[in-house]
Amino acid sequence: MSLTLSQRTPLRAMPDPRRLRSYDWVLLLAVLALCCIGALLVWSATRTRLVADGANPQTYLAKHLLNTALGAALLFVAARADSRVFRLIGPVLYVGSVLGLLAVFVVGSTINGAHAWIVLGGGFEIQPAEFAKLGLISALAVLFAQRAAARRPGTPPGPRDLLAAGVLVVIPLGLIMLQPDLGSALVLCSATLGVLIAAGVRARWIVGLLLLAILGAVVAVKAGMLAEYQLARFAAFAHPGRDPQGVAYNITQAHIAIAHGGLFGQGLFHGAQTRGAFVPEQQTDFVFSVAGEELGFVGSALIIALLGVVLWRGLRIAAASTGAARLIAAGIVCWLGFQAFENIGMNLGLTPVTGLPLPFISYGGSSMFAQGIALGLLQAIHRRSHR
Amino acid sequence: MSFADAVGSRRRLGLLRVLLGSLLLTLLCRLAYVQLLDPHKPQQSAGLTHLGSIVIPAPRGQILDSSGRVLVGNRSTHVLTVDRSTLQQQDDQGRSVLAALAPLLKTTAADLQREITPCGVRVPAPCWTGEPYQPVPVATDIDASVVLAISEHAEQFPGVAIDDQTVLDYPGGTLAAHLLGYTGAVSADDQKADPKLVDADTIGRSGLEESYDSVLRGTDGTRQVALDARGEAVGAAGTDAPTPGDSLVTSIDAGVQALAEKALYQQLMAQRAKGKPAPSGAVVVEDPHTGRVIAAASYPTYDPAQFVGGISVSDYAKLTAPGADDPLVGRAIDGAYAPGSTFKLISASDDLMTGAVNTTDSYPCPGSLNVDGRQKTNYDSESFGGPISLQFALDVSCDTFFYLPAVAEWHADQARVDSGQQPQEQLQKMARAFGVASSPGIDLPADEQASGSIGSRENRLALWKANKSDYCAAAKRGYPDVANPTDRAYLTQLASENCTDGWRFFAGNNADTAIGQGDTTVSPLQLATAYAAMVNGGTLFRPTLGWGVVNAAGKLVRTITPSVVRKVPVDRAYLDFFGNALHFQANHTVSGALAFDGSPTQTLIGGKTGTAEVYGKLDTSWLASWGPYQPGAPVGDSKYVVVGMITQAGTGASAAGPMLRQIWEGLLGANGAAPVTRGAKPVSTLPAIKPSLLSAPASQAAPSPGGHATAGPSSSPDALPTRSSATKPAKQASATRTSR
Repeated sequence: MSLTLSQRTPLRAMPDPRRLRSYDWVLLLAVLALCCIGALLVWSATRTRLVADGANPQTYLAKHLLNTALGAALLFVAARADSRVFRLIGPVLYVGSVLGLLAVFVVGSTINGAHAWIVLGGGFEIQPAEFAKLGLISALAVLFAQRAAARRPGTPPGPRDLLAAGVLVVIPLGLIMLQPDLGSALVLCSATLGVLIAAGVRARWIVGLLLLAILGAVVAVKAGMLAEYQLARFAAFAHPGRDPQGVAYNITQAHIAIAHGGLFGQGLFHGAQTRGAFVPEQQTDFVFSVAGEELGFVGSALIIALLGVVLWRGLRIAAASTGAARLIAAGIVCWLGFQAFENIGMNLGLTPVTGLPLPFISYGGSSMFAQGIALGLLQAIHRRSHR
Repeated sequence: MSFADAVGSRRRLGLLRVLLGSLLLTLLCRLAYVQLLDPHKPQQSAGLTHLGSIVIPAPRGQILDSSGRVLVGNRSTHVLTVDRSTLQQQDDQGRSVLAALAPLLKTTAADLQREITPCGVRVPAPCWTGEPYQPVPVATDIDASVVLAISEHAEQFPGVAIDDQTVLDYPGGTLAAHLLGYTGAVSADDQKADPKLVDADTIGRSGLEESYDSVLRGTDGTRQVALDARGEAVGAAGTDAPTPGDSLVTSIDAGVQALAEKALYQQLMAQRAKGKPAPSGAVVVEDPHTGRVIAAASYPTYDPAQFVGGISVSDYAKLTAPGADDPLVGRAIDGAYAPGSTFKLISASDDLMTGAVNTTDSYPCPGSLNVDGRQKTNYDSESFGGPISLQFALDVSCDTFFYLPAVAEWHADQARVDSGQQPQEQLQKMARAFGVASSPGIDLPADEQASGSIGSRENRLALWKANKSDYCAAAKRGYPDVANPTDRAYLTQLASENCTDGWRFFAGNNADTAIGQGDTTVSPLQLATAYAAMVNGGTLFRPTLGWGVVNAAGKLVRTITPSVVRKVPVDRAYLDFFGNALHFQANHTVSGALAFDGSPTQTLIGGKTGTAEVYGKLDTSWLASWGPYQPGAPVGDSKYVVVGMITQAGTGASAAGPMLRQIWEGLLGANGAAPVTRGAKPVSTLPAIKPSLLSAPASQAAPSPGGHATAGPSSSPDALPTRSSATKPAKQASATRTSR
């Protein structure tokens, strides 16, 4: 027995070189770089305030690093997914996240105007919407892959496929909109759009669906089909924070911070706006303003470029794979891509302010975990197609 | 799975690549524009919410006397402040700084920490009530040794600063306290009235400090600091220096003021030594030709320095305690008392102008007179045997002489009333023409100057309406606490009559009015102003204390001139006649002259005594005087009018007389001493004010009236038929000390 153990241990400590090579290292290193930058930015964004409160200035950094480590662990676990996992992951993640979204209405807490969190205690809380993104992508991918297998080869998905997909989308989307969380809802829509495009749905169907979605939203609001409180929540979409002054303030302060970064930035920990905590939520939704101010154009552009690398490698993985795996990869890329665009865009005053974290950079456990799983799945797909 | 390899699907992934790539490119372009290309970068200073102002209080202007001597000056004091924001940037959040600072300030680091922590829901007092970014003053008036210790080791005390702050300083101590007034901290009500006021400001609460507050206050400066979202200072953003308040030059002559206060105090003590209660008194010295007040002394008094930086609750309670005799009330201007025979200036004017008497004929002066069935007597029932002239009646102050025309006037009026006409009340009209029963309008707060009152039908009815229920209740009760049965019976009958007929203004009441008794009251200032009109040929001034406003550079920016209220409706010849008739020349019979026997000033002044009877109390002693002028010379030569008053002290000649003798000897010079003011006349030109005088701490201190106590104890309350103002509660003073 002891002999067997001693023989097996070195094998485990030294991973199989073939298995290591099977990872997409470019993708992994780009994400690692983003996570390192993110940790520094979260630290910078929180330390002065913690000092002023007389708390340990590294409190947020430590929690962020713990979240990142857990996310990395999830990545490597998910990267081992095999074909059986791929069949299961769609239904499991989807049902799990929908249950989580329902639980929010029972035991959830309201943070920043959205009823989106389940507080676990000990300073940890979970945001089911983050997992719902991945759950919906996987479920849609499995759906389209299975129905494609039942169809004549070469034909695009038909109306029945789209109807089934629509049912899958409406459930988490509706729950998220009731929270209300406009940002996550938009991410769900864009990820769905990515899956539909990748699945080969006819262009006229896609355009038609987009128009239908817009029309449906308008009719629902105008016709008074929604209850008073629902309307109030939709109104909160249009005015996040319910205080236009507050949003305007946020945008202004972020703009000032980024504008004063210049080419090389004011240096880590030296941004006046950041030190003064002028930008609310500067460690989460507005973390890019910290990058803009302290790291300047060079650092901020690097973040965008690294995100570009992540998306590029993700699409490359998608292109190299088939079936549900390709759709999952395409959906994940669209999710991360749109979320990054919306987040950086609102920091730059391009897009409306919604509560969305910047992938791999922002402070926040749930998003870090969901992104870890998503990247793990990308690596698993990569490994399967390069076996 | 077959569709997955379809060409269309691969093309779809290419589409996604283009879509996502263009999104990222958009971000890069926008980023480059915002960070590198935008010519109009937003500035943080644009957001006012993120600049905090630390107010730098403007030094208050000074109050100077007519020669430029400092009455209220500025003194600089060291204030030690601790800047929380700086402390928190230290590695140990400033714990070592506070630990080093505590022993120097003889406190503990824990106490200092509490003091600088901004008050919050869960922060118990003591805590910092100001904005979190403001440096917190933790000690004022700190020792030079502490200043040295901290400035020598500045590097050990980051965030600790020693500010020079100017606070009001009173080089003369209690000198002219009631005229100068006191200051206080700004209250919420003040800020509602003037939003520009901030907590750090000092506001005039009484006296000249209040009435000239806008002149003296100046404009606060501000130090702008950049704030973070939590309200902590992160950097300086500019300083806007304060503009010091302008200074006020007054007509107060510090030398004369000190002389008057000393004479008042000494005479009060002398009267008390004789067993008289003499709880209070006042002196007014006025320039009859300009209406400027040169001195106004009141006793009891207080120390305005107690109010600097906010008076403590216990000090304020002492000043306003029932037994304290209202030291905050300046009786010279804010007290109204029955004027007694000093009022005969007005009755005689009326008698001459109506033709009831003339200056040549003789009229009766019986020892007693029956008016409406009541015996009215002269002082001590004195009779001078047969008819006397007006001059003699004034000199010896015969009361019955003045009763007769007043009674006749009343009967004529009564006939008018009975026939449905309005009464003429000529005596009352004359009194009002001399300023009685209307505010003197001096440049002090309106509620700090008594209007006095004049006995009349209207006044009587108003009084009765106000007091009827008290009279009737007292008549019913019958004064059980009065021991003497005669007194008890008298008081009960009086109350009973007042209850039913108190509204009636009888002939006897008009007679009382003619000799300054009954319902007639005046303030010492009003009497001085009336006598000034006699001296100057009939001009009744709105008296002033302020003379000029001088800015911090020493430049005169405004001259204040007393305005003329009216010409009194009395022939100039009659006014001159009074002045000459009442001259104290040697061996003359003028009642007031007695106190001046042996004084070199006796042949240089004139005066009218007053002895106002107060039921159950000793008489109020008055003397109104003017001079210097030679016997027979025009009374208009006089440079000063001096009015003195002591309550519960006896006759005018026995108490106010000696007090004014002391003042006149000081004013004119006597016994080898030079006059207090050069030339024995009021200062006639504004002093040149050197800028250095205004900025430097008071170097040229005003003389002090001599070491006498303030608010001295008195044996009995100052109860006279004064209007309520003499006992009104002191004005709202901020009875809180600002932090430390």
